[in-house]
This record gives sequence, structure tokens and C-alpha cells, in this order.
Amino acid sequence: MMQRARDAVISMQGSGRRRLPMLPSAQTMITGGVVVIIGYLALVPLFYLLWGTFFDEAGLTLGAFGRAYSDHGIGTLFSNSLRFAGGAALLSLVVGTGLAYLNVRTDVPFKALFFAASMIPLVIPGILYTIAWIFLASAEIGLLNKLVEPVIGTQPFNVFSIWGMIWVEGLHLSPIVFLLMVAAFRSMDPSLEESALMSGAGKLTVFRRITVPLVRPAVVASILIMVVRSIESFEVPALLGLQDGIYVFTSRIYYTLRSYPPDFGAAGALAITLLAIAVVGVFVSQRLGSRGKSFQTVTGKGFRPRPMALGKWRPVAGAGIMLYFLVTVIAPLTVLLYTSLLRFYATPSLAVFKTMTLNNYVEVFHMDSALRALRNSFVLGIGAATIVMLLTAVAAWIVVRSKVRGRGIVDQLAFTPLVIPGIVLGLALSFVYLRFPVPVYGTLLILLIAYITRYMPYGMRYASTSMHQISSELEESAQVCAASWWQSFRRVVVPLLTPGLVGGWIYIMVVSFRELSSSILLYSPGNEVLSILIWEQYENGQFTELAALGVLMVLALVVMVVVAYRLGAKVGLRSE
Amino acid sequence: MERPRTKLIHFTIGLVMLALAVGAFGCGGDAGGTATTAAPTGTTAAPSDATTTTEAAPETSAAEAVYAKFNAMTGQERHDALVAAAEEEGELNIYTSNTDMDDLVDVFEDLYKIDVNVYRGNSESVLQRVLQEQAADYFGNDILETNALELNVAQEKGFLSEYVSELRDLVRPEGLKPMWTASRFNVFVVGWNTELVKPGEEPKTLEDLADPKWKGKISMEVGDVDWFTALYDYYTAEGKTNDEIVDLFSRLAANAKVVKGHTVQGELLSAGQFSVALSLYSHTVDKAVKKGAPVAWKTADGSFVQPLVVRPNGEALMKTALHPAAALLFMDFELAEGQQVIADATRIGSVASAENDPLVGAMVVEVPEDKLLNEGKKWDDLYAQILEGGEKVK
Repeated sequence: MMQRARDAVISMQGSGRRRLPMLPSAQTMITGGVVVIIGYLALVPLFYLLWGTFFDEAGLTLGAFGRAYSDHGIGTLFSNSLRFAGGAALLSLVVGTGLAYLNVRTDVPFKALFFAASMIPLVIPGILYTIAWIFLASAEIGLLNKLVEPVIGTQPFNVFSIWGMIWVEGLHLSPIVFLLMVAAFRSMDPSLEESALMSGAGKLTVFRRITVPLVRPAVVASILIMVVRSIESFEVPALLGLQDGIYVFTSRIYYTLRSYPPDFGAAGALAITLLAIAVVGVFVSQRLGSRGKSFQTVTGKGFRPRPMALGKWRPVAGAGIMLYFLVTVIAPLTVLLYTSLLRFYATPSLAVFKTMTLNNYVEVFHMDSALRALRNSFVLGIGAATIVMLLTAVAAWIVVRSKVRGRGIVDQLAFTPLVIPGIVLGLALSFVYLRFPVPVYGTLLILLIAYITRYMPYGMRYASTSMHQISSELEESAQVCAASWWQSFRRVVVPLLTPGLVGGWIYIMVVSFRELSSSILLYSPGNEVLSILIWEQYENGQFTELAALGVLMVLALVVMVVVAYRLGAKVGLRSE
Repeated sequence: MERPRTKLIHFTIGLVMLALAVGAFGCGGDAGGTATTAAPTGTTAAPSDATTTTEAAPETSAAEAVYAKFNAMTGQERHDALVAAAEEEGELNIYTSNTDMDDLVDVFEDLYKIDVNVYRGNSESVLQRVLQEQAADYFGNDILETNALELNVAQEKGFLSEYVSELRDLVRPEGLKPMWTASRFNVFVVGWNTELVKPGEEPKTLEDLADPKWKGKISMEVGDVDWFTALYDYYTAEGKTNDEIVDLFSRLAANAKVVKGHTVQGELLSAGQFSVALSLYSHTVDKAVKKGAPVAWKTADGSFVQPLVVRPNGEALMKTALHPAAALLFMDFELAEGQQVIADATRIGSVASAENDPLVGAMVVEVPEDKLLNEGKKWDDLYAQILEGGEKVK
């Protein structure tokens, strides 16, 4: 490799310079290009949002903030929102981190299955997941309550409560944390933990004092995404909170967007508040990352991330995981499967079982555009995931590794789309591309741009978290061996980043299948995507068909995740 | 190593150029308005400025000339000429929020040699899309088929063209608007779970349901401002004061479990999460009944909670249509053969058939569209306050 690298440098000096004397280096162009693309993708919707928030016919105004924040009972709304968001973030953090640790760092059984199962809450469309939980844990019709009541004499579960909301949202978000932490744990040098163990520390102490501090960048990234996501979340609070009068802040935004003319300004006022939170969060994570070597576990010293033997705890961990999956994955999935076989939902009984039919599945396969939509969703999911991870891999290098002034701004820019409502993104993109000389509007390309924009923040967190763990000495040695920047980036950095890149890729591919709020405005006939079909079923009241579609999606995506996991295990750091 | 490197450089330059070009256009705003890609050269369509009203359209568009020609014709002669012209155009673009549109299109495509492209979205998206496209002189649709509020906005913006035909004259009066015509009605009904509400115990009026005995057993929908506003007007006409009406709805809200979405509401009603839902769509209930679900909105003797709130959904011709004859033909079709398709989907068509009128014997209240359009925020806020306040009462 060294020889080839040297050849490359020589050829670059010999021919490249002579022919193109004015051209800047590849490094400048690639990093510059990525910065321009990220800036463009982030700024277009941001400008659109800011314009709508601060300007009306009369000029500059702060009225939108008044409309968003001055209403009666705003204090309660805020405290509900914070409790809900904080609770859900905490739950997903604990669950996601715990599962990731067990999966990567220990010898728990059934790893590939375990990995796929951890992803299922991410795959199921939010509305289906939430309604499945209503069927499980409502005080009136909840199956779990019906099961438990004869034993303990009371109905312990009530999903229509702040705890129910936290539970459903937290579980639904946990795969994001899981994937981030899987990447972090995979890149961790176990020798540090081993030394601690040798020095007589208990396993719990090691986890608390060594393991967790080492993955702090990933923890911060998770908290950042979780908090913003759950403050923004509307589906769970709407389905579970409204019933007993638990209103969160987004309930109000919902009204402002659905009446005519939609008050994008008020929605923008919320988004700008979230943006402030995000800016601070990204800044904190940068400060943390700048503490340099404390998290760099991938260094010039070779290591193999070897799983820790759980020993006598292995069966206990196995049983715990089984129980967890029984409750959070198998139970809601069973409810969906059961619903998908019915003509309408009814609590299980012999009479109901007799009416079971596969009609809903037949209907799904008869849908005119189902196959086309499936293909489009695949193309978009894979395309968006790949492009985002390529862009953010370079961006993460710029932010974490380069010494360019103002590099922190790239991180901030890449994160802003997280706070932009999907509908606003859709409007901003149609505004621009309706006036664009090349036909982008009305093609699949505009959806691809939308998805790349929406999921760039996640990609950025995945890539930069992994980048924090890689020591710069590896690149430096490559450069000492005369490798060009591009060579060392492609041959050294990207392979070491793989755990994070694969995690981000899987996440983006899966959630692309669910993206509705900007797709619904931007798709065109012939370019339908799966989420549009799901929306139609929902809108049409075909709940049982919707459940069938949900079950099929889970099946398809589990297969894909398992494949991606195998591929990831092959190209990334092996943990066997 | 040389060639890939040069390639890479070219690729990067390309990317940077593209990004810069895009950036320039992105910030250029309206300046690019003339550079449309899909605007066909064949039409002289002159869409009015987005802010002007109906009267302001300066010239007659090519599409409007076609509409005028066929609007003046009647009977078989019109139909034959229209079919010939429409099949000549060969294509039709529909923007709709009607999720049963596929059924209509299937029948239409069987009848005529015309390819139909359908964009479906929620009514807010459909409207935003048309607003965006018209502002950029992009003429994506020939027909706009959506809810009353959105059609009224398009009408006010001057996007729509008049439709004249004998078929339109058969439409119920609630469905005749200057620039658009109803094709079906959404009817809000009070529905109940027949296993939880025994025969004889069914609610007769909304006031019944305000009784504390229904506490926790009824359901209201968080976004049904249109339903609320219609009933507000109805009770005002009945002589109730503002305070009395707000009090009635607050007592209902105090009894109610609030849900979002009629599909969820319908599904949870048949599952037994609550006993009565105040503002279901009749077609949601009828469809569930067809499948055998234990729900109903009429008692055994055919009575139901009065009044029924109706909201028209309609269709209109775009002034900027690229396929005006096909658009006209589809309008005719939806009011003729299409009415059966609509009825088959348990929806209520806009053309009342004498022998089988689902609204017979009903006291029908219309949603006051102008109020929702002009004072939308006020009614949103009032309904939201009632729902939130209702929760505090308990």
C-alpha cells in the first residue's frame, strides 16, 4: 500500500500539477464540495422557515412568537412537553444503550435475531405501533389488563397517561440510540475494561467508570436527537395524551398548520426554539469531542473487540432479553398480526377466531400501485442512506479532524433540518424546484433531495460520533507513508468509520420507508412511495388492511436489516 | 492512479458547480418564474396573479375557450363531441384528496381511451401544491377534486373555471358553488357501539350525551372544527345564546375521550374503547357495518341523532388545464356513472336519486365555509378551548 500511495503522490506531482496548475487539491475540493452541498441542503428550508416566521405583508415581525407562545395554559403545555420528552429520551437511552451493550460486548445468544428485533419498533409505522399499544394496555379494552386482572385483581396498565406516552415514544425511539451505541461499542478497545477488571474493579464499576465515559460522545448525540425528536413528536401525544386531556406543546402547532391559511409562522416559532436547543446541544457535543484523545479507542495499537463472557449471567441476560422482546416487540407485533387477519378489530374470542381471513393481504397485493411504490421506496431509501452517509463521513472528518476555522458551523448546518417540519421542507423544495431549469420537480429526484435533507442530521451524528473514537495517528501514519488525503480518507478513515456508517445507513433506510409529511406534497403520479399508500389506507378507515401492510413491511425490513447486519459485520470491525 | 484522480476532480467540480447553481436559483426566489419546464408551449394560459380574485383574469385561456364551447352544448351531441375531443387529448391529470379515486378512475379508463394520472394527498397538501404550482406557472393538474374549504380558496384565487351542464343541475343545492360542483358529501353522524349501547338506550340528541351518565363513554375528535361550527350556527338559529352553546359543548367535552382522526375514532368505537362517537363520517360507520362490526348510526326503526352536518367535497376545472376536454368529460362522468361508484364505496353522492336517498328525513346542516375561511383561527381556538376546558371540568 505504501508503494502504491507513493506512486500516486509522484504521479500527482508529475502530471496533475502540470496539466491543471490552477486547481486546488482534491482535499480542498471534496471537503469544499461537501460543505457547499450540506450548506445548500440545510439553508434552503431554513430560509423558507425563517422568512415565514419573521416576515409578513407588513415586514419584519415577531407576531408568530406571540401566536405560538402567548396562549393560555402555556405553562402546563411546557411542563407536559418536558416531562414527556425527558422521560422518553431517558427510556430510549437506557433501553438502547443496554441492548447495544449486551449485543456487542457480551456473548448473549441469538445475536443477529436480537439485532433485527431491536430494530422492529423503528420499522412499524408510528400510528400502528401506538394503536397496537392501545389494544394492549388501554384500561377499557387492553389485552394485557384482561390477562393480568384475574391474577392480581386490578387493571395495572393505562396507556392513556403520561407514563403510557413515555413508554410508547421511548420504545419507538430506542432503535436510534441502539444503532448509535452499537457503533460506539464496536469501536471500543476492550483492553481498558480488562485492565480495570484486572485491577480488581467489579463488572458494574467497570461499566460505570470505564465503558460509559468512553462512549460519552454517542450518549450526548443520542440525548440530543431524542430530546428534539420527542419535543417535536405529535403522533403519540395526539393518540395517547388527548384522550385524558394531556396536551403537549405540539398539539397547539397542529391546529396552526391545519386551518387555512396555515400559520407556518407559529410552527416556525416552535422550530426556532428547537433550533436553539439543537445549536446548544451540538456545541456541547463539539466541546466534548475537542477533549481529544479521551474517547479515541481506535488507535495505532491493534485490538479486537472481544465480547465479554457473561458466564453464569448468560441465561439471566438471555431470559431478560426474551422478556423485553416479548413485551415490546412480540406483543405489539402479535396484535398487528391478529388485527391483520380480521375484518374489524375485536377482542379475541372463539367467535372472532372463526372469522379470520387472509383477505387483507389479498387486498394489499391487489393495490394498483403497491409494487411500484415498494420499488420507489427501496430506491429512495437506499439512495438517501448511501448519499447521506457519504456526505456526512466527509463532513464528520471536517468537523472532528480538520483544523479549518469555523468547522463547527458545518456540524450545526447538518443538524438544522432536524427541527424543520416535514411540510415546510416540502414547501421549500417545491418552491425552489418549480423554478429550476432542470426537471427535478415531478420526479423521484425531488423526493431523494427531501429525504437526504431530512436524514442528514442523523447521518451526521452517527458519522461524527464514530469519528471521535478514531485516533488521528492512523491517518497521520498513512500520510507519513505519502498517501494523499483522499487515499488515507478512503483506505483508512472510512473503513474505521464503518460501524457508525452502517448504523446510520440502516437507520436512514428504514425511516425513509415511513417518511410522509414531505413526501405527500412532493411525490407525483407514478412516483408513489409506500408511506403514501399507508396514509391512504389509514385515511380510508381500512385499519385491518393497514395492519396487514404493516406486518409485510416488518417482514421485508427485518430481512433487509439482517442482510445489512451480515454485510456490516463483514466489512466492519469484527466482534467474534 | 492518474485517470481515476482526474475523474474525481471533474466530478467534484461538477458537484460544486451544481451546488452553486442550485444555490443561486434557490435564493433567486421568484426571479426564475419564467423558466418552467413543464409549462407546455401550446397553451396561452395566463394564470392570474396568486393574490387577485376571480374577475381579474385578464384574458381567456385556451382551456377556457374549450370549456366555453362545450358548456354551451347539451345532450348526446355534447357528449359525443366531448368524448372525441377528450380522447384526442388522451390524458388527464387529477389532483385529489379523495382516497376512493382509484375506483372512479378505473371505471373512467374502461369507458374512454384516456390515461388518467392521479395525485392524492390530504386536502391541505393538495391545496398547497396547487398554490405553489400556479405561482410558478406550472400546470400540473386539469381537475381539482377536494374538500369545500380548499376549493373555496382556489375559487377565490381565480384558479377555477365555470362548469355548465345538465348534470350539474341535478346536484343537491348544498353542492352548487359558483366555480365548483359537489360530487359527494361527507356526513357527520353520531355513531355507537351496538354491544355497549343496547337497543332503546341509543342517544336521541346531543343534549342527551351531555348527561353525566355518559361520562368517559363518548368521544370527540380534536380537529372537527367544521362540525362544531356548523352545530354552533344551528343552535344559534334555534335561539340558543353563545354561553348556552359553549356550555353544552363543554359538558360534552367533559364526558368525552378526545381522539385524533376519524379512522382511529371508528376503529376504537367498534373495539369498545368508548360507546358513542359524536362526529364520525357516515361512510366510516357504513363500511364497518358492511364488514360486520358492531356499530350503527341509525336505530332499528331508522331514526338517528339530528341534525346531520354535511360538508360537500367537489371538483372543479382548472383554468390552466392542459387537457380541458378530458377534464370536462371527467366532471360529467363523476356526476353520472361516477355516482354509482361513490355509492358503492358507501359514500353519499351529490346527485340525489329519488328512490334511494340516504339523507331522506334528515335535518341537514351545512358547514359554514365562509366562516372557516375568514375567521378560521377564532373557531379553531374556541373549539380547542372547549375540548381542553372540558377536561378540566372533570
